[in-house]
Amino acid sequence: MPSRDFNALSPVQIWRDWFVQCESQWSEALTQLLKDPRVGEPLNRQLSEVQFMHRQFAEFAQASLASFNLPSRSDLEVLDERMGRLEDGLAQVAAALSDLRRTLAARSPALAADEQAARPARTRRPAQKD
Amino acid sequence: MRSAQALLGALPHPVQRTLERLGLPAADLAALSGPLGVTPKETIYTQGTLKLHHFRPQCDSVYRVPVLIVTSLVNQPYILDLVPGQSMVEFLLKRGFDVYMIEWGRPRKEHQNLCLEDHVLDRLPACVKQVLSHSGQKELSIIAYCIGGLLAVLWAALAGRRAPLKNLVCMAAPVNSDGLQSLKAWMGPNFDEEALLARHGNVPAEWVQNALRALRPLGKMAGALSLLNQADQTEVVRSHLRMGRWETDNIPFPGGVFRQMVRDFLRGNALVRGTWSLGGHTADLAAIEVPLLHLLAQDDHVTPYGSSRDLVLRAGSRDKQELIVKGGHVGLVAGRGAELRMWPALDAWLSLRSV
Repeated sequence: MPSRDFNALSPVQIWRDWFVQCESQWSEALTQLLKDPRVGEPLNRQLSEVQFMHRQFAEFAQASLASFNLPSRSDLEVLDERMGRLEDGLAQVAAALSDLRRTLAARSPALAADEQAARPARTRRPAQKD
Repeated sequence: MRSAQALLGALPHPVQRTLERLGLPAADLAALSGPLGVTPKETIYTQGTLKLHHFRPQCDSVYRVPVLIVTSLVNQPYILDLVPGQSMVEFLLKRGFDVYMIEWGRPRKEHQNLCLEDHVLDRLPACVKQVLSHSGQKELSIIAYCIGGLLAVLWAALAGRRAPLKNLVCMAAPVNSDGLQSLKAWMGPNFDEEALLARHGNVPAEWVQNALRALRPLGKMAGALSLLNQADQTEVVRSHLRMGRWETDNIPFPGGVFRQMVRDFLRGNALVRGTWSLGGHTADLAAIEVPLLHLLAQDDHVTPYGSSRDLVLRAGSRDKQELIVKGGHVGLVAGRGAELRMWPALDAWLSLRSV
């Protein structure tokens, strides 16, 4: 739904335009700062250290959760991988069924009509411009 | 619930109306965005986590040349098929294109050694072959987005005239890493990608997400404040929630591909230097001779112009065009701006070349 009777002098519109411009300028300034190797390299090192600490914490948390018989992140990741394999298996079945339907349609006139309906003629032309 | 209702009644009118429109406090925010990627399709081919989908035609006749959409490796493909009325796929179907799409899928630990050769020389050509077999045609058009665009360009540059390619459309495809200054700075010689891959196998989705967010440091906060600014517009709220769901739904980066992207693309800039070798052959942009359209976003912070303009400059096509539209990296392909600007331009260009 379009804004109600907002015009260029509307305080709300002025605020929105200023906000968008401001964010863009701040983001650009921060991006330029992050590109500087004097900022990027120490930041990279810090992120590596944070990653190391995160890994240590994750290992500690896993041991603690296991002692309470609660699932840890790595347990959920294993579950996620199993679900991913299941999904891939289902997709394989779907693709095989699709192939089977096409094969059967090629042999059966009754099924061919349905298949044909799903395959319109390739005769389309772009609209002519006057 | 009664106290919440009483509170609603006591609030100033605009706030109450906004909250009611948002459906709070009883609404499910996920339900506000609705199910995503629901344009009817069937899976016609799979390979590992890869799924090739064929969308059901929505016209009585279609263009002769089928279209294969190649999506990014690190994002869910439903950005191109958000909801009815906000779907590039649906738009193309209604304009009479026969549309297929590659969904790369989420790589697992056993896929960490998948490399660019697997994608560019095996999976993508296999999907092309399936599309041609399924459609009964001898050539196809490719529409490729972001990293998907780089994959499609590599394939076309390696295959040259042997590729059964009629048209190539890229959307914000990076080809020159000198234009990706931020990523080059962060993943330069001091970045230890092997340590990251040794720990995780594939690059975790959260890592990818944070790297993309860091390209626009205040973007997340600005998005939230912008949402508050326009909380009285229901469709803006819904659109924001949809984009938000997609933005947090990243896919892990296959380890082998990440290694090659960092070494050969980001650090080596091998594509524009003409030294990128895959499967014993060197990718040459000049070998792309098919009609080429490169759609770019004016305010693209993920694929800045400096990283993408060389595609049209260096491609060997005689029929080639670069079109820059208003908006950002995601707004180029999805949202109201894309619906008004990019999609019609894509239709106008591709329809003439699909008969």
